[in-house]
Amino acid sequence: MTLLVVDNLSKEFGGVHAVEGLSFAINPGTIHSIIGPNGAGKTTLFNLITGIYKPTVGRILFQDQDVTAKPPYELAMRGMSRTFQNLQVFFNMSALENVMVGRHLHLNRGILTSLLRLPAIAKGDAACRDKAAELMRFVGLERFLDAQADSMPYGALKRLEIARALAAEPALLLLDEPAAGLNATESHEVDEVISKVAKQGVTVVLVEHNMKMVMGISDHILVLDYGKKLAEGTPEQVRNNPDVIAAYLGGGAA
Amino acid sequence: MFRNERMIGLAVLAVIIAILPQFLPNNYYYDVAIQAGFNAIVCVGLNLLIGYAGQISLGHAGFFGLGAYASAILCTRYGWPPILALLAGALVVGVLAFVLARPILKLKGHYLAMATLGIGIIISIVLNTEAQITGGPDGISAGPFSIGGYTIKTEQTWYWVVGGTLLVAIWLANNLVDSPVGRALRAVNGSEVGAEVVGVDTARYKVLVFVVSAVFASVAGSLFAHYLPQITPAKADFFKSIEFVTMVVFGGMASTFGSLVGAVFLSALPQVLTVFEDYEAMILGAIMMGTMIFMPRGLVPTLGSLLVRRRG
Repeated sequence: MTLLVVDNLSKEFGGVHAVEGLSFAINPGTIHSIIGPNGAGKTTLFNLITGIYKPTVGRILFQDQDVTAKPPYELAMRGMSRTFQNLQVFFNMSALENVMVGRHLHLNRGILTSLLRLPAIAKGDAACRDKAAELMRFVGLERFLDAQADSMPYGALKRLEIARALAAEPALLLLDEPAAGLNATESHEVDEVISKVAKQGVTVVLVEHNMKMVMGISDHILVLDYGKKLAEGTPEQVRNNPDVIAAYLGGGAA
Repeated sequence: MFRNERMIGLAVLAVIIAILPQFLPNNYYYDVAIQAGFNAIVCVGLNLLIGYAGQISLGHAGFFGLGAYASAILCTRYGWPPILALLAGALVVGVLAFVLARPILKLKGHYLAMATLGIGIIISIVLNTEAQITGGPDGISAGPFSIGGYTIKTEQTWYWVVGGTLLVAIWLANNLVDSPVGRALRAVNGSEVGAEVVGVDTARYKVLVFVVSAVFASVAGSLFAHYLPQITPAKADFFKSIEFVTMVVFGGMASTFGSLVGAVFLSALPQVLTVFEDYEAMILGAIMMGTMIFMPRGLVPTLGSLLVRRRG
């Protein structure tokens, strides 16, 4: 069984083909990386998969169901979650509450029960708080348990987004440049978090520029160039692919 | 962590409401306190929309007015019991807000402000011109508020009714804020796309908070209609809407007690400033400008973080 199928996907922005005729499949329980030079369409692809953009052409199947052009919250209900390259943290809330929002789908969301704060809400929130704290420790943010999100450093916010996404208990987790802007230590920590997540059975897809990280943890790599598939395979296959080398190092290098 | 603070705040407020009458020498002061209370109920609801969910409405006096007129019309023209009229008004306003919210809350920022402004103006025009139902510019009387054979007659009784309603409104609002729904609302304010990817249907929550805040305004309006001898369209016009927003922003967005302080302060201030006669409006304007420049987060949050810093 495949978890995610992308079939002949295209996205056009006023004549520019950001993604063009792209097809690939993702198997459950593995770490996939999508790499490619700047402007290759990686983030556009993420936005298409997670419903933020609607594709011009093509289909997306998630767990064997057509989810093309479904809104992001509906995809979240089906078990897809993500982080963002440019942070989408709730800066008006505490770090812990950010992660608690990630539990949204697993909590009682009745308006009357909330207004009256019936026991179900208090009980659910207490459990949710514990779970959120556990996830913050899991991604290495125990120092920030009492912090406001707007007082946290960049590297911590990146991991906060991972914790928030994990709180939703997704089957598929998409990480858009989780190591961008991090120093070597931080990036190594994120690396470990991703491996731990994958070990728990969550399928991870990441866009990343840090080649050391990509080659180290990926089971499977998809290389994009100008919105099209350039190569696909294991890290070893991709590393030795002459097209990939040409795209990264310039035409003559191959 | 939140919960204790909220309950303490509510208890302190209850005590203040209980002892305040000792300092109210006559009916004039009672009237100021009661009007401040009505404004505060509306602002506590409006703050859920503006402060917590990060949306704007420049038309909430319209919902306040609709609640007031629903009560006045149903009680005077059709002889309904006031409490039923209040509930019917809240239902009508809730449904209207629900129907309007879907299309207009797709808008953001200035566009949303303009659309809600339009709603407020339309409601105000209807109240002014449909004279055979609403009494036109002269307004309409709702009669006294009575329930189960008991009628509210004195300012003193009104004071306790409004004080009690305000406490309930604050309790409800704070419960909502500290719940999964409330966190979803704050998340919408923080990052809509961030909220969507963990399953928050942002459009639905924006509609929900718009309806809740409109119903708060409607209930306050219904009671207000019974308190006044006569309700007029001026209580539902554009300036009243601006007044509500100003109170919320002045007191401090995303702070329920801030909205309360803003409403009380700006309701009482014009009364204090009457001694300055012609300069009243100028001084009021200067205070507003000063607040926005020096305390852009509003009164209560600014003072709050100042206190925390002192203690830390």
